[in-house]
Formats: sequence, C-alpha cells, structure tokens
Amino acid sequence: MDVFTLSLWLLRIGFVVLIYVFLFMVARALWQDLRAGVSGAGRPLGRLVVIAAKEGRPAPGTSLPLDAINSIGRDVNNSIVVDDSFVSADHAMLTFRGRAWYIEDRGSTNGTYLNGQKVEGLLPLGYGDELQIGQVRLRLERSRPE
Amino acid sequence: MTAAARALYAVGIRPHFRWRELGLLVVVSAALVAGWASLSSFRAGELALGEAGLLVSYLALAFAIHVAFVITGRRMDQILFPTATMLAGISLLLMQRLPQDLVEQSIAGRDLTLAPLQLVWIASGFVILAALAIFVRSDGWLRRYKYTWAAAGIGLLLLVFLFGEVTGGARLTLRIGPLAGQPSELLKVILVVFLAGYLAENRALLSASSTRIGRLQLPPLPYMLPMLAMWGIALAIVIVQRDLGAALLYFLVFLALLYVATRRASYVVLGLVMFVAGGAVLYGLFPHVQDRINIWIDPFSDPQGAGYQIIRAMYAYGRGGILGTGLGAGLPQVGNVPSIPAIHTDFVFAALAEEMGMLGGLALLGLYALIAQRGFRIAATAADDFRALLATGLTLVVVIQAAIICGGNLRVVPLTGITLPLISYGGSSILVNGAVIGLLLALSDRGVEPPPPGTRPNVVRRLGRRARGLGGRVEEALS
Repeated sequence: MDVFTLSLWLLRIGFVVLIYVFLFMVARALWQDLRAGVSGAGRPLGRLVVIAAKEGRPAPGTSLPLDAINSIGRDVNNSIVVDDSFVSADHAMLTFRGRAWYIEDRGSTNGTYLNGQKVEGLLPLGYGDELQIGQVRLRLERSRPE
Repeated sequence: MTAAARALYAVGIRPHFRWRELGLLVVVSAALVAGWASLSSFRAGELALGEAGLLVSYLALAFAIHVAFVITGRRMDQILFPTATMLAGISLLLMQRLPQDLVEQSIAGRDLTLAPLQLVWIASGFVILAALAIFVRSDGWLRRYKYTWAAAGIGLLLLVFLFGEVTGGARLTLRIGPLAGQPSELLKVILVVFLAGYLAENRALLSASSTRIGRLQLPPLPYMLPMLAMWGIALAIVIVQRDLGAALLYFLVFLALLYVATRRASYVVLGLVMFVAGGAVLYGLFPHVQDRINIWIDPFSDPQGAGYQIIRAMYAYGRGGILGTGLGAGLPQVGNVPSIPAIHTDFVFAALAEEMGMLGGLALLGLYALIAQRGFRIAATAADDFRALLATGLTLVVVIQAAIICGGNLRVVPLTGITLPLISYGGSSILVNGAVIGLLLALSDRGVEPPPPGTRPNVVRRLGRRARGLGGRVEEALS
C-alpha cells in the first residue's frame, strides 16, 4: 500500500471518527448536565410569583416555592401566608395531583379567581395561569432549573 | 477585568463566553476539513484541499455567528449551534461531491451550480438562525396572534392548492414573480406555533374533563373539533397536493403535541385509529398511495418504474457497507444519469450512507438525536406551558421529518418525498430549519447576565425600550 492510498484511507476514516468525537464530547457534556439535574431533584414542583399586591405584602416579584399540597390564607399556620386584609384566614388550597395543578376555594369571604373567573369547586390550572386571592395577584410558574 | 473588557462594559456590552460551543465548533471544523481533504485528494489523485473557498467561507460564517452570540451575552444552549453547523457542513460536503449540474440557477446575475447554491441557502439560513437567536427576547408576538398565524397558514395552503406548481408528482412549489418556494416547509412551523398557543390555553380542560358514553371515557367532544380539522387538513394535503410526506409529518407532530399537552393516551389511540382508517380509504381511492405501499413491500415488482429509486438506494447501501466507499468513490451517476433520482434532495441519506457507510449514517442519526435531546431539555426547563409546547413542537418537526425520510430511504416505512432537515439541497428547507434552530436557541435563553452594579443598562435593551415607546405612541395616534 503506497503512502497516498494510506493517507486517503486515514482521512476518510478520520472524518467519520471526528464526527464520533463530536458526538462523544456532547454525550459527556449531557451526562454532566444530567448529573447536575439529578442533584437538583429535590427542587420544588413549581412556584407562585407575586405579580401585584395592593397593600405591598407580599412584595411584587416575590417567588413562593410550592410543595404538592399548599394551603393559602392569612393564618400563620398556612404553608403560604398571604398577609392582605381581603384574604380569609383559610382561603384556598393549591394541590399538585399527578398530572396537573388544581385550585380549590376553602369558603373564603372574597373568593378566589383563576384568570379572572371565580373558582367554584376544584379547577385545574397550568403554568402561566393567574390567581387572584384578595388583592394579591399571583402567577403559577415552573421552578427555575438552578 | 482587562482594559478591553472594561471598554465593552462602558458601551453597555456584556459578553458571555461560550467555551463549550467554541470547543465543539473546533471539532466540527476539524471533521469537515478532514472530509473535504478526503474528497479533494480522491479526486486529484494526490493529497490536496482542492478549491476550499466554499468550506472556508462556511466555517468563517459559523465562527462569526459564535462571536456574535458571545458579544450579545445571551445565555443560550451551547450544543445546538455546533450540531447544526456539523449537519449543514456535511450537507455542503455532499453537495460538493454530487454532480454539480443537478441544479443550476442564477442569483444576482451569476450562474451558480449545486454546491455554491447550497452554500447561499445555508448562509441565509444561518443568518436567520443568528438573527432569531439574538433578537427574539419575548414570545408574545407568537403567543398573542395564534389565530392570525393559523389563518396565515391556511391561506398559504389554499394558495398552494390553487396556484401551486407540480414538482416530482406533488403540487408543492409556489412561484411569486422571481421567487419560488415550498410553503409546506414554512407551514410546519406555523402549525407548531398555533398548536402550542391553542394547547397551552386549553391544556387543563383537555386533560381534565371527559365525555362519557357508557363505560367508555372519551375526551370532551367540543375540544375534539380541532383534531378532526387537523385530520381533514392532512387528508386534503394528500388528495389535492399529493404530498404524503408533509401530511404524515403534520399529523404525527399534532398527535405528539396533543399527548405532551394532555398526557392522555386515549387521544393518541383515537388519532392512530383515524389515521389508519384515513389511510385505508386513501389506499383504495388513489393510485399514488397504492404505489408507495406496493414499492415499500416489494420494490422489485416494478424494478424499472416505481421501485427504481428504492432499488438503486439499496444497491448503494450494499456498496457502502460498514465503512463506506469513501467520499468521491461512490457511484452517484451512471453515464449522465444519476443512479438514484432525487439524490440531492429526498435520497441524500443514500448518498451519505454509500460513501460514509453505516457508521456515517448512524453518526447522522446521532446528530438528530442530539437535536431531540437538547430540544426536549429546553422544553422541560421552559418557564410556562406555551414555551414548553413550542420547544417540543419545533424539535419534533425536525426530528420526525428526519425519521420519516431516513426510514423511507432505508425502506423501514413507506417512502414519502420530504427533505432531510439541514442536509437536503433546497432553499425553503434550509431557511426554515435554520429558523427552527434559531427559535429553539432563543427559547433556551436564560436572560442576559445580570448587570454588574453601577453600569449603564444594556444597549440592546435600551434600544428595545425606546422602540416600544415609539410603538406605543403610534398605537395611541391610530386609536
């Protein structure tokens, strides 16, 4: 085998091998990415972001991490305490049930609103939907990756 | 902080370095240079790089876009762009290798042939990719006008139905003055944008409520209408346009998105039942559907006619074997006739698998798998349902299309004529797939670097604010 044939063969194989090197480098990067993701597995299911609050409590922009079951109200025993004078002591319940989030009013005085619609019974909601509790407007969002 | 960096900060530019992307781009360049050298050396009979102008300008463009990403400081996915660069680079290499007279077209007074033309398309596609990735900061314009998008899409479809020209047995090409394009490529993106908007809005209703008939739980009937409409559109495309590939792509993407949005297998089962029923009826009514199935089951039943393309492709895989014949050493044409019709568009996978072998073909599939992984990852970390569904849909459009056409070329599924994303020759295809990758990059952005305290706000953001102020004043003046 002369030098030219050999180097042509090497170039040809080198081309394909380099594509596999690329794939391997990316696979390694993805693996690191996934490991970082696993270590963040304990992160909350989602969060409520305060869009507006007439009385300034909680401050707009605040992000409240969510568990699977969240009770919302003015009473300090709730998992999410909303200190607003139009919010009842036990106001609403936000739950994550397997495939979707659900909101339920717990007989509050001023009601709970989902995207401007009064909540009666159990209503499903998705990320990006807006809740109004008392004078506080909140948006359901996915929790951040980091 | 160096003086140069301080100067950049002073004018409001905050670069964000992308070392992983840079490293991957270097590997991509090395691979493409090796491929180019292998092709030119085989042709010249000695070690040579040939006319490397095309490759050099392509790589220069890729690195320029990388630098633009760094300077604008967006924190986007760093793997998608090198992957797209690898795919389009392989495309350029294949087009350089195929007979140049397959396509001839003059652009701006210059007569160009296959490879330079493809470089023009790739360059334009990459410019669109970079522009979308850098400048798209809000998805409001996509989210808010979803019915407008849907109407535009249907309008486009009607235009093709009425005025389309026939390409390769399918009514695909729309010609407006000197411009010609294949709207079905653009339509797939419009479809995804509309579906993402519609499903994000009705997701909760679609997944929670149901209609009961006896013990059977069916999805809510009013919300089934879009599904029926989609099914009808797919059938209409097959009947009027005779474009099986696009119809299959639209319907599969639709079903997949519906499942992602609702997690209800019943929709998928129902959709597949409708698909099979529609397919059976079409098979009975239309000879071109029968042809496709027959040559899939037995291409040798009509070796000189309908089965010719597939049989030649199978010979090509046989010649290629595991390692391939090497670039340039394959048999793309016999005399003056290409050995596989449409080898630069629909059958580009066969051209690749002949000269780069099974290993090359698998590597190509691996590259599409990367796009799938990155796209779904972007969807999984998206901030809300619309962005998640949009990212999923854009990814599916690329990946399912690649699966349909590779499967067709390999005789795994019936052959339908669509392009291999970012590889096949073709302006519309390359431009639209560039736009898809660009949008995915924009969706993956995690916001610009938080400003260091005490510096002035970002130039781009300041310009944006001024533009919005102007827009608001115009709106006021009009109302």
